[in-house]
Amino acid sequence: MVLVSAVRDYINRMLQDISGMKVLILDSHTVSVVSVGYSQSELLQKEVFLVELVDSISKSKESMSHLKAVYFLRPTSENIQHLRRQLASPRFGEYHLFFSNILKDTQIHNLADSDEQEVVQQIQEFYVDFVAIDPYHFTLNMPSNHIYMLPAVVDTSNLPHFCDRVVDGIASIFLSLKRRPIIRYQRTSDIAKRIAQETARLMYQQESGLFDFRRMEVSPLLLVIDRRDDPVAPLLNQWTYQAMVHELIGIQDNKVDLRNIGKLPKDQQEVVLSSEQDAFFKANMYENFGDIGMNIKRLVDEFQQISKSNQSIQTIEDMAKFVDNYPDYRKMHGNVSKHVTLVTEMSKIVEERKLMLVSQTEQELACNGGQVAAFEAVKNILNNESVSDIDRLRLVMLYALRYEKESPVQLMQLFNKLASRSAKYKPGLVQFVLKQAGVDKRTGDFFGNRDLLNIARNMARGLKGVENVYTQHQPLLFQTMESISKGRLRDVDYPYVGNHFQQGRPQEVVIFIVGGTTYEESRSVALQNARNSGIRFILGGSVVLNSKRFLKDLEEAQRMARSSTVVV
Amino acid sequence: MATRNRTVVYRRHRDAVKSVRAPLFSSASGSGGPVIEMASLLGSNRSSYAPLSTEDPGPSSRDAFTVGLPPSWVDDSEQVAANIQRARAKMAELVKAHAKALMPSFEDGKEDQHLIEALTQEITDILRRSEKRLQKLSASGSAEDSNVRKNVQRSLATDLQNLSVELRRKQSTYLKRLQQQKEGPDGVDLEMNLNGNKSSLEDDEFSDVGFNEQQMVKIKKGQQEREREINQVVQSVNELAQIMKDLSVLVIDQGTIVDRIDYNIQTVAVSVDEGLKQLQKAERTQKKGGMVRCATVLVIMCFIMLVLLILKEILF
Repeated sequence: MVLVSAVRDYINRMLQDISGMKVLILDSHTVSVVSVGYSQSELLQKEVFLVELVDSISKSKESMSHLKAVYFLRPTSENIQHLRRQLASPRFGEYHLFFSNILKDTQIHNLADSDEQEVVQQIQEFYVDFVAIDPYHFTLNMPSNHIYMLPAVVDTSNLPHFCDRVVDGIASIFLSLKRRPIIRYQRTSDIAKRIAQETARLMYQQESGLFDFRRMEVSPLLLVIDRRDDPVAPLLNQWTYQAMVHELIGIQDNKVDLRNIGKLPKDQQEVVLSSEQDAFFKANMYENFGDIGMNIKRLVDEFQQISKSNQSIQTIEDMAKFVDNYPDYRKMHGNVSKHVTLVTEMSKIVEERKLMLVSQTEQELACNGGQVAAFEAVKNILNNESVSDIDRLRLVMLYALRYEKESPVQLMQLFNKLASRSAKYKPGLVQFVLKQAGVDKRTGDFFGNRDLLNIARNMARGLKGVENVYTQHQPLLFQTMESISKGRLRDVDYPYVGNHFQQGRPQEVVIFIVGGTTYEESRSVALQNARNSGIRFILGGSVVLNSKRFLKDLEEAQRMARSSTVVV
Repeated sequence: MATRNRTVVYRRHRDAVKSVRAPLFSSASGSGGPVIEMASLLGSNRSSYAPLSTEDPGPSSRDAFTVGLPPSWVDDSEQVAANIQRARAKMAELVKAHAKALMPSFEDGKEDQHLIEALTQEITDILRRSEKRLQKLSASGSAEDSNVRKNVQRSLATDLQNLSVELRRKQSTYLKRLQQQKEGPDGVDLEMNLNGNKSSLEDDEFSDVGFNEQQMVKIKKGQQEREREINQVVQSVNELAQIMKDLSVLVIDQGTIVDRIDYNIQTVAVSVDEGLKQLQKAERTQKKGGMVRCATVLVIMCFIMLVLLILKEILF
């Protein structure tokens, strides 16, 4: 609720005081920001009759002075350039400019210079610089995400850009919540430290007036951590609805693109999966695959009953009732076909890629012990012809991440086997992952084999048996959240920035994962929030990862690292 | 939700820049502020009208001179919107009339019935007219603001559809309550009846085994009434169904991909690109086309023939 309602409030405020016909002009980032929280029909109700992108609007020359222009852009230099050109030859009657983050004074001056016709009525900063995909989950949709993996010496030009964007995103979250947090970061990650320090500087020094909100008893907490502390979460295959759709097909801004999947009717080629608008999805997004199947069957049965009763139209009253209920019926029909299509497609993929088998091995690698058994299992799967390249690579990576130190000979064997069979994956990607996220680099103990308590817990779980072998894995985030709830997050591992300090437990926590979040982790956060323990968690990242995206980031980073060493 | 207003800073800078720019244009005439205002107006090629109110240099004073009137379809859309408002007002009246007719009263409820019928008819008329006008909206106007027109259509169509649904619902609840009222005291529902009171007279008559003349007449009248009422109902259902069918094509389904802003921007971009490609292809085929070549060949032949003819005349 929190994030989506913040977005909606901002947009409502933007549009409410401007009367008459309006045109809304967005850029490629703010389109995502607005689309996840506001629908086209709601825009129409607010008399916004045209939506355009700022870069394409300059191509048209026709003047529409009966429309008032509402611009909502990120304050980047390209956008300012576009705006300057458009202000110099204005097409619309009035211009109302809203920016999603803090404007520099030079930018304001530049705009004022170009505004010779004095068409600009207002310039405001409305701090919505993040994409609120779920009530407690946001993302920044950053394009070159892999930069976070490169040390500063390799890529000096893009790294500050990356950090600035992240800092802007985090700042806008807190400005929309109207809070100023205490900041902690993961000690072992340089980029987390850098981002945490820059955020602190922004909030407490540069713009301290803007962030000076009413202090509550307990300040909220911002925790900046690195994806590489838990590289297992994005690599695992998922079996809960939302995470599974993203892993097997891909969700972008709550939209699923089904265009390259066989023959589908036109209105099912792209579908929306949003917990705000789809009650069935909201009830089932965190359920596992088996339960979803049953629930969908029940949904289809209900729908069939209704359509049967619709077909027996005999009296006038029946006709009238049909006409009345038609819109609801149509909506239900669309919804049912959407879910049926998704589940069918996912079942097909599971069947093709033998994911049941692969996933079982993955989960055992991630959760249980037994190096010898694990080695055998992975070797068998590598020998299995019907397993795809990406699944083989993932298994070897998981094995390597877990048994990095034990029996290097067997690890080498697996590497060779992988290289000999999988033509697609460049050699050394697994070694790269170990270099980035190996046991020495990690703070957390997600394999549960470091501290005594975790080992004991694992043994207990092994003895008790698991409810569902496919969903045994708990992301490291879960442990982190528990530590925060108990007030026991270790200072040694997660130091404070500057001289901040926090007594007791925070009531609001924003966790930002540099490098991206996964839907499994957002599920963890949602379930934790539903427990009503008095602490509200919000999760965000630079992107939302699935295994394909994570591997792509690794490949990109490896390629850049390699090309730079050649130069140096 | 924090926001920050930078308009003051902006305006200050804009005024500063303007006063720097203006002296470049100022001519011999004038003194002080107002003249500089007019001069900068002249400089920006907007108009040559001197009597502008220079106290308020906002865009409102320029609008009248810049590009002026909105396109004509805006008038149509405003009229449809006004109709919708009127229909809403009438609907409120109808609700009151329904309530009054349902209240038990001693007098004959004929006037109430007439009022209800008249109001219902009026509202249905308004809805139908608005819908026709809405359809016309798509035809008129230029291609450039077709998107704006489409969106205006959609929004008005949604309103119209909601109104028709509301009307139907109110009608059906009224009918239901009316039936309940009749069934209540009588225990037997004899006929579906918009004019409630008449049937209570007939009830007593049916207790006899045989019917006499008077009763036969009454029964026949009752049946005719009933037919008329049924026809009315059928007609109104048909009309409304027709309206809803037409409108449902225009209206967006909420929660689907069509209701997403980014999807709509994409499709606009795609269709504009497609349109451009088609135009280019057409241009190319036309240029290459046999038609042009044929035509040129024929023209040249005609020319040659003409020349030969003239030569023939001259030589012979």
